[in-house]
Amino acid sequence: MAESSKGCGVRRREMLGALGAGAAASVGGCLRRARSIAGWESMERVSLRIKTLPADADPYALHTARALTSWYQAAGIDAQVVPVSEEELLRQVLLSKDFDIFLIRTATIQRDPDIFYPLLHSRFADARGRQNPFGYTDLDVDEWLERQRRATGERRREIVAELQRSIARSQPFTVIGFPDEIRAARRANYTNWRSANLRAPQGYLTLKRGGEGPSETNEANAGDEEAVLRVVGTDRRATENLNPLSVEYRRSGVLTGLLYDSLGRVTSEGTTPWLAASWAFSETGDDPRAAVRLRSGQTWHDGEPLTAEDIAFTYALLADTSLGSSEGQDGETAAETRVPAPRFQGRSGLVEDVQAAESDVAVFRFRDCSPRVATRAFTVPILPKHVWQARTGPASISGIEVGSATEALVTNNIPPVGSGPLRFVQNTPRESLVLETTGNHFLFDERDAGEREVVGPPEFDRLEIQVVGSDDAAVGVVAEGDADVTGTPVGADTVPRIGRTGGLELLVNRSAAPYIVGYNTQIPPLTNPRFRHTLARLVDRSHIAADVFNGYARPAVSLLEGTEWVPDDLRWDGTDPVTPFLGTEGELNIPQVRSEFRNAGFQYEAEKLVRMT
Amino acid sequence: MALADVVFQLGLVVVAGHLLAMLFVVERSGRRRSRGLVSLVDRIRSNLTAVAPTLGALAAVLAVNKVVRDVGVELSWLIGINLTGNIYLLESQFVATIQRFAHPALTAYFGFVYVFGYTFLLTFPVLAYAICERARPLRVLFRAYILNYGIGLLCYVLFVAYGPRNFMPELVEPLLYASWPQSQLLVQQVNVNTNVFPSLHASLSATVALLAYRFRAVYARWLPVATALAVSITVSTMYLGIHWATDVVAGIVVAWVSVELAERTEEGTIREPLRRLQGRESEAVRR
Repeated sequence: MAESSKGCGVRRREMLGALGAGAAASVGGCLRRARSIAGWESMERVSLRIKTLPADADPYALHTARALTSWYQAAGIDAQVVPVSEEELLRQVLLSKDFDIFLIRTATIQRDPDIFYPLLHSRFADARGRQNPFGYTDLDVDEWLERQRRATGERRREIVAELQRSIARSQPFTVIGFPDEIRAARRANYTNWRSANLRAPQGYLTLKRGGEGPSETNEANAGDEEAVLRVVGTDRRATENLNPLSVEYRRSGVLTGLLYDSLGRVTSEGTTPWLAASWAFSETGDDPRAAVRLRSGQTWHDGEPLTAEDIAFTYALLADTSLGSSEGQDGETAAETRVPAPRFQGRSGLVEDVQAAESDVAVFRFRDCSPRVATRAFTVPILPKHVWQARTGPASISGIEVGSATEALVTNNIPPVGSGPLRFVQNTPRESLVLETTGNHFLFDERDAGEREVVGPPEFDRLEIQVVGSDDAAVGVVAEGDADVTGTPVGADTVPRIGRTGGLELLVNRSAAPYIVGYNTQIPPLTNPRFRHTLARLVDRSHIAADVFNGYARPAVSLLEGTEWVPDDLRWDGTDPVTPFLGTEGELNIPQVRSEFRNAGFQYEAEKLVRMT
Repeated sequence: MALADVVFQLGLVVVAGHLLAMLFVVERSGRRRSRGLVSLVDRIRSNLTAVAPTLGALAAVLAVNKVVRDVGVELSWLIGINLTGNIYLLESQFVATIQRFAHPALTAYFGFVYVFGYTFLLTFPVLAYAICERARPLRVLFRAYILNYGIGLLCYVLFVAYGPRNFMPELVEPLLYASWPQSQLLVQQVNVNTNVFPSLHASLSATVALLAYRFRAVYARWLPVATALAVSITVSTMYLGIHWATDVVAGIVVAWVSVELAERTEEGTIREPLRRLQGRESEAVRR
């Protein structure tokens, strides 16, 4: 700026004089010079907004985001935290892609490398929903993602290692770490808290009735009366919406997992049959096929029989929630106007098609994958055809069609009709949700009790979920004896209080749902992998684990941390082997940071990081 | 049920407060004029009749408020502006600085004032002005309440803002909920955590205090009580980490505007300043 005024420093009088003298040629030269300078002038300060949850909704997210902004600011970036409610955050990030950076706790990560496929494949870069929210595109990564689906054994392990190395370098997202899930549980009415995994639907089914003597009288202990399991949480979304396809209303899917069964469930040994009695794979050609036999005599909560027709319908609906009904508009084919479900696309995409061979046998054809990967497709919720068939039309508000969404994607699905061990009783939006057990479920069937070792029929008759404003309040409700357990995990701050209160059990579990920082790789400067790589190096994850999580977290490099899939060179060993912190003990080494950013093609002006626009 | 307990406690304390305040504020200062119970009932009846339309409007606004609290949140995410970051840029860690003076006794006091004091401060003038001889104070009070809620509601739809305890959890403690967790059960019934700008606690308290000043001729003893309570409540919103200083300032502005408008509409003088302003302008033009 200073240079340009020197080069063209004409006073007004001189200018008039020049014009008056008819020396228009010199003005023309001056303008040309101004134009060429303007080409070099457009430097812009690098500015990033981090969207995350307020402290009421998540005990750690906002604190972590503020730690990040203080490091970003020290590096000369204009950084700011924007707190957004969970439902709105998911909507803005997953549906409208309106973000620079988001910091959120992911849903529970399954322990299979195929989770990366929906997360990073470029075919989902412009898709709405849980798939590839980063808009990440990399042809090598695409190839590895496709090859690991087909490969088996050692070969697959090598491909997955390569894949993870590439992700760690190019940083479409940064894994902050895996938090410990802290919960407060009352010992009075239920036991077996320690072995029950409350992050999965089965956890609630393994709780045992009865507690520590008759010191506390409660409905649950009063003999023949109804046994109620009272859960208190901070997530109110389940009281407003129970649609398993709604991306912005689901976190862990535990509640919808109790209402809806899937063919198989994830256990430590992989996917095991659940609603299915068994399945048998046959590899006739390249791609696997499977015949899935359903348990006999299963019904939906409204009494309709559950058949293989429903299975075939579910997979067709997940692939295209309009079921081809939008075909033909503007001359497009059904394939072009598909409206796939925004959740489960990675899993449902494994399925080529499903045919109902008999009333209790469905035949699956898979595409481009090994049978092991194919069983992942069995973990999606099965939906009743007679309810959802009417929801394939375009969504409308008061009769006016809006956008391309179908009714299936936007319905709140209350009351839900599932086939799970619990059925819907009533809900009060923002306040409570009541479910009850249904005696028709196969868990109550004495005959095949032997096959299921851990999971038996639920020992409670009703499940009541109460919503409160924050984790402090949730612990308070349990401490007062008005609930049996905090359903959503609470912050480390509440640990002393849980420990002090008599009759409470402190549950601390390793979680499989990490906190991640996701970057919108489609807007500059986040398009630049070098920039993201350096950005990741501004974050001291050991410091965050100690300071924000009070030690109740493990930093990690890969989403698969803790599984056998992570190669030795990507394991966290006190520091990140790929993107180590540019400093020590939470303090950035500023000269080093600046040289890293300069190497990535950025500049500093008056200690502010700027870039060309 | 914990919520019922809290509501019961609140009711008990507020009723006790009303009785005490009646004795202190009304009974003695009104003794000279008191002409027995019959005239009291008559006065209440005539006052209520006189303010019936305003009371109806207030009831309507409160009902709308209840609905909008649920619908408005959705609407406000749709059209509202997220102010939280801007407020933080404006005042930075002011609330954290206030919390440095935190002390269990102060926390107990401010927590009490925030929940019980506030409910008392809002309800007592209704009773007190209902039994005074003129209908005017009661009508102005209701009008000011309507304006407060109306302006507040509009702002809540237009702006999304989280309070300091939600934005800088490492610096600002949710003192109220940490020391008395059950209170959150009550607070979440009436508040949504994205609705902090402006502070209705500050604006309604300031409104009551301003009106106590305007009508000090009616109840001279009410003025110091109302002022002390209003100041305490205003400070408590920040001390407890619920509101930003910006919310409080905005709340006081809303209070002042509401009281001015309520008075002017009562006197029918709302046009006059406008006319004066126009007159000045035309004078300026003539010059």
